[in-house]
Amino acid sequence: MEPKLIDHLFRHHSGKMVSVLTRIFGLVHLDIIEDAVQDTFIKASINWRNQQPQHPEAWLTTAAKNRVLDIFRKLKTERNHLPKLSQGVDTIAINELFLDTEIEDAQLRMIFTACHPKLDARDRISFALKTVSGFSTKEIASALLLKDDTVKKRLSRARKVIQKADLQFKIPRGKMLRERLESVMEVLYLIFNEGFHSNTKAQLIRTELCGEAMRLCQLLLKRNDMRLSEVYALFALMCFHSSRLDSKINSNNEILDLKHQDRSQWHFPLIELGNSMMNKAIETETFSCYHYEAAIAAEHLKASSFETTSWDKILKLYEALHSLQPMPSHILTMAVICMQSNNYKQANNYFNKLNASDLGQRAYLYYAAKADYYASEHNFKAALKHIDLALEKVTNALEKAYLDKKRAIWLSANN
Amino acid sequence: MKEFMMIFIGADYSDLGLSPEDLQNRMGKWFAWSEKMEKAGILRGGNALTPQIRRVVGENRTTTDLTSAEVKEIVGGYYLVMAKDFDQVQEIAQDFPDYDLGGTVEIREVMVFDR
Repeated sequence: MEPKLIDHLFRHHSGKMVSVLTRIFGLVHLDIIEDAVQDTFIKASINWRNQQPQHPEAWLTTAAKNRVLDIFRKLKTERNHLPKLSQGVDTIAINELFLDTEIEDAQLRMIFTACHPKLDARDRISFALKTVSGFSTKEIASALLLKDDTVKKRLSRARKVIQKADLQFKIPRGKMLRERLESVMEVLYLIFNEGFHSNTKAQLIRTELCGEAMRLCQLLLKRNDMRLSEVYALFALMCFHSSRLDSKINSNNEILDLKHQDRSQWHFPLIELGNSMMNKAIETETFSCYHYEAAIAAEHLKASSFETTSWDKILKLYEALHSLQPMPSHILTMAVICMQSNNYKQANNYFNKLNASDLGQRAYLYYAAKADYYASEHNFKAALKHIDLALEKVTNALEKAYLDKKRAIWLSANN
Repeated sequence: MKEFMMIFIGADYSDLGLSPEDLQNRMGKWFAWSEKMEKAGILRGGNALTPQIRRVVGENRTTTDLTSAEVKEIVGGYYLVMAKDFDQVQEIAQDFPDYDLGGTVEIREVMVFDR
């Protein structure tokens, strides 16, 4: 029996190869580079059908090096000129660029390019998933719940901006680095959330999105100048959330809320990793949103059961988060937290600060929470009225089923 | 036992926009399939074909070069296997990994000539 290939070997190698080749040839040739890399994988997938090489990674890296020459030739014939290699790279230097540390450096350059402020915020995620994480257009579309065409448009828009603005394939330094890191963290956070919070997606793609965000976040933490407390906090947050990714859905593919999750299913090594990251994150005076979100996630994990959750602590953390980053969804969450600790008066105060429309597409969450509020007062008539409003707005089948279940219980309580 | 050829027909991988992840998964399935046939001792050989096509057609020997993108379906490769009959090869062909890409497996028996 041949050794099994490392999971995601191709996907991860794709990002590495695209990054290294871009470092050699420059962002101007990204199209050709991506095609060339894709070609390598098609070749490998056919070559390796009957027999896999002893060292698949070395095989892929050699293939990538050979690609350098292919691309060189292609550029020469297509454009009838010698490509200007960035910084006069020669053969020896090219070999060095394929060392592990240099590959990581190239990947970081790609991440920082994807998160350049000149790129439209919406295009950044798609572009990062494509170039750094080796997702296909189709995979990005299903990961972000977009149409294939929309993803294509975003990718080509990002490429155009990169060409037009003549972006350099570099990691910014000093003050610029800090600013750009903010944008990088935001993109990684959004990729992670696409995986963690969207119940509409297949579990597989969710795990992969979370995994990618964590892999890239770890790349940041390998670098001395990027080990900011916020980055540690972001990574801790990802660890805490991921630890219960598998327990969010039961064997019937139904959503389980925190209350009904089997806590013994949580992945404890990830919680421990999160804890040690959190310890590094709090060696600072000022806390970021990521700090508070990680602390909230940790507080949920600390409780041995839903009933013993310390809602007071969580509410305080949310207050702090909300003052740093005011958002209607935080207010709604705080209302829900108050209901958990039977503080209905305060819950009502939070509800009064909100309109359903503040929550946009997630208005159903507001109605569903209000329905819970009335149900707790045994006002099932009002509860049913609100859950019907929630059902009107909810689009996702899993979430709809979850609300329907509640409705049925209240309906029988009302009769 | 007779010799059969399984001919794989469909779009070329390079025209389908498959992701590296997808390619790796498919490769794993192909690998498992060939290993299964190998173990059963029925695999006689096989090849994959590159997507370049040159056609020589008709009395004038008209020659055209085509790419896989211009031809919707091309023969991508074949396996030779030993089996009792068509039904048995059909059973083997169940594991072909690319049906979901619209792929086809055509089963043909290798002709045996009398001496």
